[in-house]
Amino acid sequence: MWERVNTTMGASPVPDLDAQLMLRVRDGDEDSFRVLLEKHRNPLIHFLYRMVQDQPVSEELAQEVFLRIYRSRGSYEPTARFTTWMFRIATHLALNWLRDEKNERATERLDEDRGSDMPARELPDKKPSVEQRMVYQARLQEIRDAISLLPEKQRAAVLMHKYREMEYAQIASALECSESAVKSLLFRAYETLRARLAHMVTRGAL
Amino acid sequence: MTHREMTCPLLSDDSVDVLLDYSAGRLDKARSARLERHMEACDACAAFRVEQSALWSALDEWEPEPVSMDFNRRLWHKIDVQAAAPWYWRLADSLRMGTWKSAIPLAAAALVVAVGFMMDHQGITPLTPGVAGTKGVSITEVDQVEKTLDDVQLLKQFDSTVTEAGASKTM
Repeated sequence: MWERVNTTMGASPVPDLDAQLMLRVRDGDEDSFRVLLEKHRNPLIHFLYRMVQDQPVSEELAQEVFLRIYRSRGSYEPTARFTTWMFRIATHLALNWLRDEKNERATERLDEDRGSDMPARELPDKKPSVEQRMVYQARLQEIRDAISLLPEKQRAAVLMHKYREMEYAQIASALECSESAVKSLLFRAYETLRARLAHMVTRGAL
Repeated sequence: MTHREMTCPLLSDDSVDVLLDYSAGRLDKARSARLERHMEACDACAAFRVEQSALWSALDEWEPEPVSMDFNRRLWHKIDVQAAAPWYWRLADSLRMGTWKSAIPLAAAALVVAVGFMMDHQGITPLTPGVAGTKGVSITEVDQVEKTLDDVQLLKQFDSTVTEAGASKTM
């Protein structure tokens, strides 16, 4: 099962720093869990956000990932990189959510809450004009659409490769497939993205 | 024409990681230099690099949303609630999370086997219980044998009719 603590995928024999922290969590050190939470919270939520393209849902899923990690602390064995394990749980939850026939209902429910909870999206530019803002939003929407139209595994592979800079072995472990399958997924995904965003890609290339 | 359709072996599923890593700036200096020399002669790889780098820049525009300020507080609240919950509540929670879903195919297979076993054994009624040689033969099976014999007889009749008709035609 996904949430099983046996992390024998993409294994590296020497535990990484995160795994050492997780071992301390296993021994009852809650502060180490706080460190892991602070370190990985944003990258994890950002990954999940790009997967499900819904901020409240991505935060709920991220909470579930950390809950599962915390609940599994007692039987944790550092046989793989902590982040590989974490992203494996996250990918599993995200793919389940995407496939879940009930997700439409969940989205409607969360849409109602969104207005009150979430701060307004802020653009990185200093006071952009309305026109700049509209152009930016249109480009952003195109990118979001292009990625959301990818098959789920291709999408997950691209997000881990592009935005999390994960190695092929790590992505393979997270997606439970071979490294060559990951390369194939990425090749096809980027090929599709280049075609869908051809006008941006061509403009950027010139 | 896509890059896949081009002929350079670097543009195959197994080797494309070199070009992807180069476009992402993750390839070491020695391999980068070797690839750059290759791209001077290979138009397909050169075109791939330009387009992939541009795509990379376009994807960089997608910045994530800000994370809620109370994320940690909500998480610790959930952890506290779970820690204080009785065992049956935690079990119900794990069921709600869908950890039982993987057992569905197994349960379905077991159900099919059970139903099949029951159906297989339901219609067998011994004709004369206790008589050796007839044990396990059902009324249904006897009916089927009789019907099959009738069918065979019909087929024989049909076959002989067809043969006779064929013979009269050739004459």
